[in-house]
Amino acid sequence: MNLESTSTAAVARTFRPQDAKLTHDWTHTTRLLCCRVDPNGRYVFAGATDSTIQRWEIASGKQTAFVGHDNWVRTLGISPDGQTLHSGAYDGRWLSWETGAEMPKPLRSIQAHQGWLRGLAVSHDGQRVATCGNDKLVKVWSAADGQLIRELPGHPHIPYCVHFAPGSYDLVSGDIVGNIIHWRTEDGSQVRRFDLHEIFSHIGDLAPFGGVINLSFSPEGQRLTASGLHKVSNAPAGARRAVAVSFNWGTGEKLPKQECLKKELDATMWRALYHPGGMMIGIVAKEIGFWNPGTEDVFHLSETPSEIFDCDLHPNGIDLFTAHFDGHVRCLHCAAG
Amino acid sequence: MHCNSNQHMIGRRQFLGDLWTGLGVTAGAGLFAHQLGASEVARRGKSIVVIFLDGGISQFESWDPKSDLETGGPFKAIPTSVPGIHISELFPYTARQMHRMALVRSMSTGLDDHGLAKNLVRSGRTTRTATEYPELGAVVAKGLERPDFPLPGYIRTMASGVGGRGRDAAYLGPAYASVSIGAEAGGIRNSKLPEGVSPESDQRRQDFRRFLNERHRRRVEAPEIDAYSQSFTQAQRIMERSELFDISREPETVQASYGKSEFGKKLLLARRLVEQEVPFVEVSHDGWDFHHNNFEFHLHYVADIDRPFAHFLEDLTQRGLLERTLVIVMTEFGRTPKINAGYGRDHYPNAWSIAMAGCGIQHGAVIGKTDPKGVEVTDRKVDHRHLFHTYLRAVGINSSGHFQIAGRSFPIADPAYGPIKELLA
Repeated sequence: MNLESTSTAAVARTFRPQDAKLTHDWTHTTRLLCCRVDPNGRYVFAGATDSTIQRWEIASGKQTAFVGHDNWVRTLGISPDGQTLHSGAYDGRWLSWETGAEMPKPLRSIQAHQGWLRGLAVSHDGQRVATCGNDKLVKVWSAADGQLIRELPGHPHIPYCVHFAPGSYDLVSGDIVGNIIHWRTEDGSQVRRFDLHEIFSHIGDLAPFGGVINLSFSPEGQRLTASGLHKVSNAPAGARRAVAVSFNWGTGEKLPKQECLKKELDATMWRALYHPGGMMIGIVAKEIGFWNPGTEDVFHLSETPSEIFDCDLHPNGIDLFTAHFDGHVRCLHCAAG
Repeated sequence: MHCNSNQHMIGRRQFLGDLWTGLGVTAGAGLFAHQLGASEVARRGKSIVVIFLDGGISQFESWDPKSDLETGGPFKAIPTSVPGIHISELFPYTARQMHRMALVRSMSTGLDDHGLAKNLVRSGRTTRTATEYPELGAVVAKGLERPDFPLPGYIRTMASGVGGRGRDAAYLGPAYASVSIGAEAGGIRNSKLPEGVSPESDQRRQDFRRFLNERHRRRVEAPEIDAYSQSFTQAQRIMERSELFDISREPETVQASYGKSEFGKKLLLARRLVEQEVPFVEVSHDGWDFHHNNFEFHLHYVADIDRPFAHFLEDLTQRGLLERTLVIVMTEFGRTPKINAGYGRDHYPNAWSIAMAGCGIQHGAVIGKTDPKGVEVTDRKVDHRHLFHTYLRAVGINSSGHFQIAGRSFPIADPAYGPIKELLA
């Protein structure tokens, strides 16, 4: 029997969102936009609207500021070995940092995009970093020296997010008008496109609203899931519903929508991610929804005190960290006992 | 059954005045009678163009950016063509026109309801009585009126088509109310005579209509008839000049320079109308009410107006029109310093901004100031009433004067207020 699958199965059995309890609640002074837990489980990082990244040591709660960006920090990624933090901000820059530094300073600063940098991803081996931004470009970089490897034009509008396919340098990127492009970054070619125009709308023919906010792959790499919003009735007032749409990665077939029907919430699903055991987790306004792939409604909603803009799982597969509008990072321990 | 209320009595007499105006007789002889001569010359050929950003543009994402991270948002301030003046980075093209512009950063108007606030900024009044006040466009149409002028004095540009008269002239009467006209290639739709109707037969038809109207009018006191007659006359005059509204008559390079957007086309039409000395033109741009997703929406919305607007100012300048045209970027209120949980900004009338360009104002002026977070006005608090006086003075209309209509005297602007003198050229 494979040790890894045994471990995953055990985590899946232990993970019970219905029994979730708040175990950590740390506060920063400004709004938080994104968060990531390092793969070694020591730290949680959050990007803030005061242009800083905040690091909390999970064991002690010790907070450290990473100062280097000049605008809202929108996206974070961590190398698989847990040694390097990558950050992207509305100043258009990609910064790299030593995750455990006592006095954090950027190891490298790259002006990656003109305008906001929106999304960032680290490849499975940590060798490459992908970014996207308001200049409508997707870029692939060498994590080792910051050299640009590939510039990928092709999105007709602003790409929001990038994600490497599991175990591969193939990349997916999703844009504000609902296009998902599968790239072969080795040669810069477009392998295929997924059409998700159903999750965006226009207001006044001027501004797109919605689109592919976030992308994630299932643990075995069989499904690609995009999250965002749909059913817009009044965009400037924020009247919309959260949604996640999945594709069969092999065939490209679109699978049924996940709409979080349990509760009427004006919300964007800023992130939907897979638990290693296969269950899905999506953040919906102040709530965290849990559902099994293939079902359209959540089986459980956990309410929090403030709007959530990102979440990430601790490598133990049980602790779920959330970054909130009220400046808090909270941790839900999703297991009995 | 007749209703003899004062409002209706005024209405009858004002409509009679309108009819006379339509026939080339100056109505309200008392208007400006005390200041003909030099001031008449000063007003001659002047125009006002209002760019109305409907819904409430954020002052933080436009004219009064703040570096305070809690309230300022993610957009930075950029320098402009006037040293020391910074505006939002969302306006890179407009920033290069700042030496032709002025900013008022200390607007404080008190009302945060869309309808009430629109009425307030357009009328220059805070209405607490039953009296309805004419909007700026109607006041300017009247104030800059020339008896021989063939076009409406107050034109609102639309994306396409032709609308009716607005109900925005109050006691000035429908002759000064807005007429909505589309900015489209080919000019005004349905403005040509139908096939089979010759100009001669149309003339006979119109003569017959006039005969019936006048005969009926002698027997019945009905201001509606006067209004209809005036509208017919106005419509005929517009039809005769339909080509003025045809933006495709501009060279392709000029059309391209205004861009393909609806807003750019409206601005191009506005420039053509200013060339014709139309006293007041409004170009609206709708949807600025971002309670949610404020920053994302401003990114796209401002991009839609920045370049065409800057080009409009440049084009007016190159043609020598900006020296006789006041351009106002108006909105109904500002947006909250506090960013809400949907990353939106809500209505905020306490401290907001208006921009102007062109004639009669000090170029490069910045009036007033807000605190570092943009919560309060800290210097030279002004409101819609001061601005109303200022707009009128900038185009040579004595805002302290009165309209004499049907024996009643109406102050042109709120008599308890005056212009922002340091803003006037």
